[in-house]
Amino acid sequence: MNQTKLLRTYSMGIALVLIWLFFTVATDNFLSARNLSILSIEMAVTATLALGMLLVLLPGQIDLSVGSGVGLIGGIAAVLIFNHHWNAFAAMGAGLAVALVIWGLMGTLIIQYRVPAFIITLGGLLVFKGLFWKVIDSETVPVVAGAGDNALSLLTTHYLTPAQGFLLLAVIAFFVIRASVRQRSQRAKYGFELESSSTAILKIFVALQALLLIILVMNQFRGIPLSVVVLGIVAFSVYIITMHTRFGRYLYAVGGNKEAAILSGVPVKKVIIGAYVMLGGIVALTGFMQTAYSGASTTTIGNLMELDAIAACVIGGTSLAGGRGNVLGVLIGALIMATLLNGMTLMAVAPETKFIARGTVLALAVWLDVYLSQKAD
Amino acid sequence: MKQKVLQVSALTKRFPGVLALDDVSFDLEEGEVHALCGENGAGKSTLIKCLSGVWPVDTYEGDIWVNTRRAQFKHIKDAESAGIGVIYQELALVREMTVAENVYLGNEPTNRLGKIDWPKVYADTQSLLEKYNLDLDPTSLVADLGIGQQQLVEIVKALLKNTSILLLDEPTAALTESEVDILLDIIRDLKNNGVTCVYISHKLDEVMQIADRVTVFRDGASIATSHIGNIAKAEIIRQMVGRNIDELFPRRSSSPAKPLLSVTNLTVFDPLENNNCLEGISFTIKAGEVLGFGGLMGAGRTELVMHLFGAFGNRVSGEVICSGKSMHNSAPIDAINAGMMLVSEDRKRYGLVLEKDIGFNQSLASLARFSQHGLLDHHAETLANKKLFKSLRIKAPNVESIVGGLSGGNQQKVVLAKALMTQPSLVFLDEPTRGIDVGAKLEVYELINQLTEQGKAVILVSSEMPELLGMSDRIIVLSDGKIGGEFVSAQATQEQLLQAAMSHG
Repeated sequence: MNQTKLLRTYSMGIALVLIWLFFTVATDNFLSARNLSILSIEMAVTATLALGMLLVLLPGQIDLSVGSGVGLIGGIAAVLIFNHHWNAFAAMGAGLAVALVIWGLMGTLIIQYRVPAFIITLGGLLVFKGLFWKVIDSETVPVVAGAGDNALSLLTTHYLTPAQGFLLLAVIAFFVIRASVRQRSQRAKYGFELESSSTAILKIFVALQALLLIILVMNQFRGIPLSVVVLGIVAFSVYIITMHTRFGRYLYAVGGNKEAAILSGVPVKKVIIGAYVMLGGIVALTGFMQTAYSGASTTTIGNLMELDAIAACVIGGTSLAGGRGNVLGVLIGALIMATLLNGMTLMAVAPETKFIARGTVLALAVWLDVYLSQKAD
Repeated sequence: MKQKVLQVSALTKRFPGVLALDDVSFDLEEGEVHALCGENGAGKSTLIKCLSGVWPVDTYEGDIWVNTRRAQFKHIKDAESAGIGVIYQELALVREMTVAENVYLGNEPTNRLGKIDWPKVYADTQSLLEKYNLDLDPTSLVADLGIGQQQLVEIVKALLKNTSILLLDEPTAALTESEVDILLDIIRDLKNNGVTCVYISHKLDEVMQIADRVTVFRDGASIATSHIGNIAKAEIIRQMVGRNIDELFPRRSSSPAKPLLSVTNLTVFDPLENNNCLEGISFTIKAGEVLGFGGLMGAGRTELVMHLFGAFGNRVSGEVICSGKSMHNSAPIDAINAGMMLVSEDRKRYGLVLEKDIGFNQSLASLARFSQHGLLDHHAETLANKKLFKSLRIKAPNVESIVGGLSGGNQQKVVLAKALMTQPSLVFLDEPTRGIDVGAKLEVYELINQLTEQGKAVILVSSEMPELLGMSDRIIVLSDGKIGGEFVSAQATQEQLLQAAMSHG
């Protein structure tokens, strides 16, 4: 790999480090445990939704309706809990079911009836917003009926205890090491090249050290936020789906060359509808987290979140034409978007300036990627 | 001695790790047709790109002289203003525009306010067409033209820029034989009008017909330049591959066994054209047999294989039985499950995910075999990929190389590997050797032999009659969607095939 290619691969990682350095210098408490904890929750919400967006961007589709969807599904759960006194799990289950059905229908309209995704989901953006405001009657609906907590509100207020945090690390370490050992023995069995065992151990060691650092910092405040665990589960699932299943391979194939995919026996319709249904599930999850984070469902929940999700994907190297993108890139992209908002809030930047800054960073990131890719060729 | 309109001396062009042109020297005499022959990757296209300014002057070593002036092309525009025009294999026309709009695209005559003078555009295009005896209507939409006619539009577009040297990069790769004849006539007309042509083609018969001189390239070097009267076809091939090729079509017949696919009275409706594109087609193919399909462009050959593969058209009537099962041809996945696989004529559009690597493409149609409990077994997949990569001798660093960067012949091998990996019992090969070099062609033929020896059947669609006659056991010629004739290859001639191709219509 030449230098330009390396630079392109790591450019957003480098950008992230620079942004963090900037906020560390420009504010007093960016690196405080409390702020990093808040940032991790904000990032968890953005990144979860962005990972769902990745699933439809890979096969060359798009979804502009997810922001309104986040509001609507969170609103449904809140109304069921506060106005109808449902159990929080049942309320979230109902919200999830609604989301799966809606996104399944949108996927069907897009691929079966060939209405462009941009149009269907632009319609969805408006329709869901209207439905959302009808559902909550344009008022503020708390996520908890009376005092105390429920499963919904705990999504962004519950933290793992320090002991639980370390236990989590131990469990992750166990599975990572087991997977690595298995993979090496498999590769040896098939006679493929093996990286030296010291390199492999070093890699795992560094990754676990980084995880340990995160847990230590989080434990200084309240512990690992539950929403970060949720993000971890979603990220791991999306990683497995995209990299280790047939369905994931088909997402890339459909986005890369739909006609070649059809002639290779790829069930394109099922793949696209499947991607939208999965996105629907993630929209519901994000809806619950975002609504819980605000403490109540109000008309502004989910505003412009579709653009943050798309921006996170694009900054992370996902192609809007389809066929290119991965989980790690999206996580970095989401962290950049969340960091910008968090850091500027700490600096007490005016809301209008925040919009301008975020938009500029998005445009710059994509320009840089295009520039570096042209230079690499 | 004729005047030299272009001279290339000691041209060397390097890419990272590759010597694309190695001390190439070559010249053009005024008004000649000069053929360039060589396998893919031999350096012909790189030379064209140097001559046409795609590669700027400072990216290569050596000199290019145009009419005794040293050329210093920095952009394509520089080469154009020196009178050099290029017709690429892949057409660069806007399908939704008319012939005249395409011809003048980027050169529209305007008045002082920037308003385009449309009457002039159409009138000038018309007179240009008349000057070269081209049968085209300036007002037709390019989308409505055949490939051959589209090629003519490209040529007119180049002529408009006062081109005196026309570089044609495999202009006949997508044309049928009759369209090729028209193109060759046009090149002769151009020659009479003083235009010098460089003609790149893999089809040596055309080269022998049209060229005055031929220069052969191999591994980036110019091997020899000969007058066409002083060189035989076999010698050109020997120079191209660096060894003797005794047989161009090494078909080894195997004994056909039980019937594999039988088609009875098939009629297919084309929803795009709103008519029946195939009518009353019946045939049987046995295991171990190569059945060739010939015919003119638009006769329905591609439509037939695409329909049998479940990717095209609506069945009006007829029955398709594959290995005893009745096929309804609803989707390619059903065809693949029944043991069929298609290698499309358009590998970039229908065959490959260009931005992905070789392994991704090879295993795309066979992933079910590598899935356990919903998860992919990457190791088993890679192993199978490497095995095919090796056995097909794909020229690339490894299976992780991106397909878009490979030469045409190697891309075709990746498509073939994808087909083989599905372990089909019947393979449809639609123009499998289009645009690939002689060496790769021989490997494709060898592969056909291997398949039939393993008891598999091959349906071979080809526009090249020698290939059909050489590689098929039997040939069916389609004519306007109907069967125009059926032949045993060993007893058939090109004339008979051509007659059958024009029997309906």
